[in-house]
Amino acid sequence: MELNFLKDSFERVAKKRKVSYSKTQEVTDLIVQEIEKAIKMVQSSTLEYKSELAELKKKLQEVAPLSQLEGTQKELNIALSKYPKAIEKVLNPDISKAYQNVEFDSRIVNQIIASHFYRQGLFEVGDCFIAEARDVEAAATMKSLFQELYQILEAMKSWDLEPALKWAAANSNTLKENGSDLQLRLHHLQFLKILQKGSRDEALKYARTNFVSFAGNHLTEIQKLMGCLLYSDRLHDSPYAYLLSPTNWDTVTEELTRQFCNLLGQSYESPLSVTIAAGIQALPPLLKFMTVMSGKKQEWQSMKQLPVPVELGKEFQFHSIFVCPVSKEQSTEDNPPMLMPCGHVLCKQSINKMSKNSSKSFKCPYCPTDINSTQCRELIF
Amino acid sequence: MEIDPLPNGTGATAATTTETTITTTAPTAASNTAPSSKLSQLTDSLKLEHQFLRVPFEHFKKTIRANHRSVEKEVSAVISSVADVADSNELSKDDAVLSLTSLVSRLQGLKRKLEEGNRTENLHAQRCCTRLDHLESVDAENLSEWNNIRVKRILVDYMLRMSYYDTAVKLAQSSNIGELVDIEVFQEAKKVIDALRNQDVGPALAWCADNKSRLKKSKSKFEFQLRLQEFIELVRAENYMRAILYARRYLAPWGATHLKELQQVMTTLAFRSNTECAKYKVLFDPKQWDFLVGQFKQEFYRLYGMTVEPLLNIYLQAGLSALKTPYCYEDDCTKEDPLSQENFRKLAMPLPYSKQHHSKLVCYITKELMDTENPPQVLPNGYVYSTKALKEMAEKNNGKITCPRTGLVCNYSELVKAYIS
Repeated sequence: MELNFLKDSFERVAKKRKVSYSKTQEVTDLIVQEIEKAIKMVQSSTLEYKSELAELKKKLQEVAPLSQLEGTQKELNIALSKYPKAIEKVLNPDISKAYQNVEFDSRIVNQIIASHFYRQGLFEVGDCFIAEARDVEAAATMKSLFQELYQILEAMKSWDLEPALKWAAANSNTLKENGSDLQLRLHHLQFLKILQKGSRDEALKYARTNFVSFAGNHLTEIQKLMGCLLYSDRLHDSPYAYLLSPTNWDTVTEELTRQFCNLLGQSYESPLSVTIAAGIQALPPLLKFMTVMSGKKQEWQSMKQLPVPVELGKEFQFHSIFVCPVSKEQSTEDNPPMLMPCGHVLCKQSINKMSKNSSKSFKCPYCPTDINSTQCRELIF
Repeated sequence: MEIDPLPNGTGATAATTTETTITTTAPTAASNTAPSSKLSQLTDSLKLEHQFLRVPFEHFKKTIRANHRSVEKEVSAVISSVADVADSNELSKDDAVLSLTSLVSRLQGLKRKLEEGNRTENLHAQRCCTRLDHLESVDAENLSEWNNIRVKRILVDYMLRMSYYDTAVKLAQSSNIGELVDIEVFQEAKKVIDALRNQDVGPALAWCADNKSRLKKSKSKFEFQLRLQEFIELVRAENYMRAILYARRYLAPWGATHLKELQQVMTTLAFRSNTECAKYKVLFDPKQWDFLVGQFKQEFYRLYGMTVEPLLNIYLQAGLSALKTPYCYEDDCTKEDPLSQENFRKLAMPLPYSKQHHSKLVCYITKELMDTENPPQVLPNGYVYSTKALKEMAEKNNGKITCPRTGLVCNYSELVKAYIS
């Protein structure tokens, strides 16, 4: 991107402004000088002070301060008018071109925002917003849900695992059902923390109390941890040094957040952030389309589908979508995807068409296999 | 940056090393795709930031112009005063010295003002540079933090436009992004809007006078609308004589271009404020003041090069449409999809569905995308899962596969690969 071009363009504005400023200073000083000089002359002269005044007037007219300012001001104005043009050239001058007048209910938007603040841990901002926007109190339930999470995370930031362990113990069964070994991973961190403090006995005691119940599924991991006991005073130089990496804390923090949200029935990412991120990816192709279509603006409300395909990143792929490579249509309940004996997949309608309603066999569009429509079977993604 | 697991993964697959807390959210753009496409996506997204650069610049320009005007005014005033002194015949010598001395101190005052103006202009210039630097600063390492700030910027913009000033300030302060949002600019709007809500057109008229040339250029009739409202208020108060005088002075100049509206409003003199005639009744409706607030906002946004709609609405609309598929409205929609939530569904209701040209299959078990590296495999009952998930299951269960949705048990060897193009 031509950010440097913009920077240069702005640099010019800044420079011209400085020149214009010093010119203004200079001119003002000059007038002051002239007047002060005249004052002295008038004071020292005995009778003819009038001529001194006339002289001053003439002089100031000659200096013509305003027209002096004009020159630099003009150059500044040119730079000032060029910069916005440069921005418009490099950036998209109006992203609302892709906006269709589909009015949002601001109450719903406000509720979404308030929930967003709370789930991001911005509790004060959320409170402030609820007080100011009114009518969004419903979102306050999010506050109590997420407060505990942020207390746990805060504690973990200062290497205190107690609240996290307490939460994991209370939800131990649910975590196991979800296939998460979070509790063990927390114990793991706590164990190493104790060991690093140098108290091998205490660490051993901790291991005995807490690791046993996990021995069934996580034996190798526990063995490694027990191995650490041998190196308790020089863990950093041991084969287990990698266990001390602070990134372990980060991954556990993330897993905890994920599990916490999961147990609350909430998504891991803020839905508002996800939607905005999707919008940021979707706008460029939409704007491009609008530029091409300029003048023929259709109303979105009358459209069933966006006029252009918008490819979002993998992280926005929440559903399986099958597009028939022959008809280019999305599969539906009535028109499901069908697996042909060769392994290629088409929609039912396409197969019906190609087989003339199962009256004859046809060639797969992708390989030389002859297909009999009765051999095709429906797929469920 | 390490590869992020998909947001839906419920457990052991988590292999990230980057994110620490939930506060860093916005999905890192396509973390698994090649860096080049990621970069071009980033460039495209930066192109959406016109308002971000434009607004502080317009503010800067406005300050420069205002400062310059006041300098010109002062200097020409001093010069003409000198001329007055020189041309005066009655002035004694002492008086002349006195007048000149007062002019010198006036100029000293101007110099102080100049310096002060220079300082503010410098601040504005710095802000413009900060914004450019902020756009430049984004790279693969800080992308998620940068995106996070972008969400906050978009929210502050929304707060300011909706007049939730306290929240705007609080959000900006708590996130330390004061330089990246336009709270100061909106302070100017707040004054006008507050006054209009109190049925006072004073600040709005002053604002029009301040921006006269630019409003004229865009053929704005906002000032005319304000004048009409003032006239209506005089009629409402039954101050007919003053109303007529007012109309002569302030409405007549608009006659050439807006005669019809002018005539309509003049007719209210005959109808009074309690009229039932719909055409004139509407003019006395207190909602007219809300209309003026709306009009002012439009003019204000245009002047500063802002989008007419809040940025949030623009991004949300595009995002919701791009995410919207018929599957979003099914009961088993994953909660990671924003459209699984009632509020998001309501907003998306009138919007079109996304358009798809290519199949994209998401494994029911791992929630990962199935592609050539992780191809889909078909169970004898037609259910499809990713190779990765099925392999893992087979390894754990002596080559047996259990369909999680139907309970069907089969051997790994019974699976068939499906080729999806």
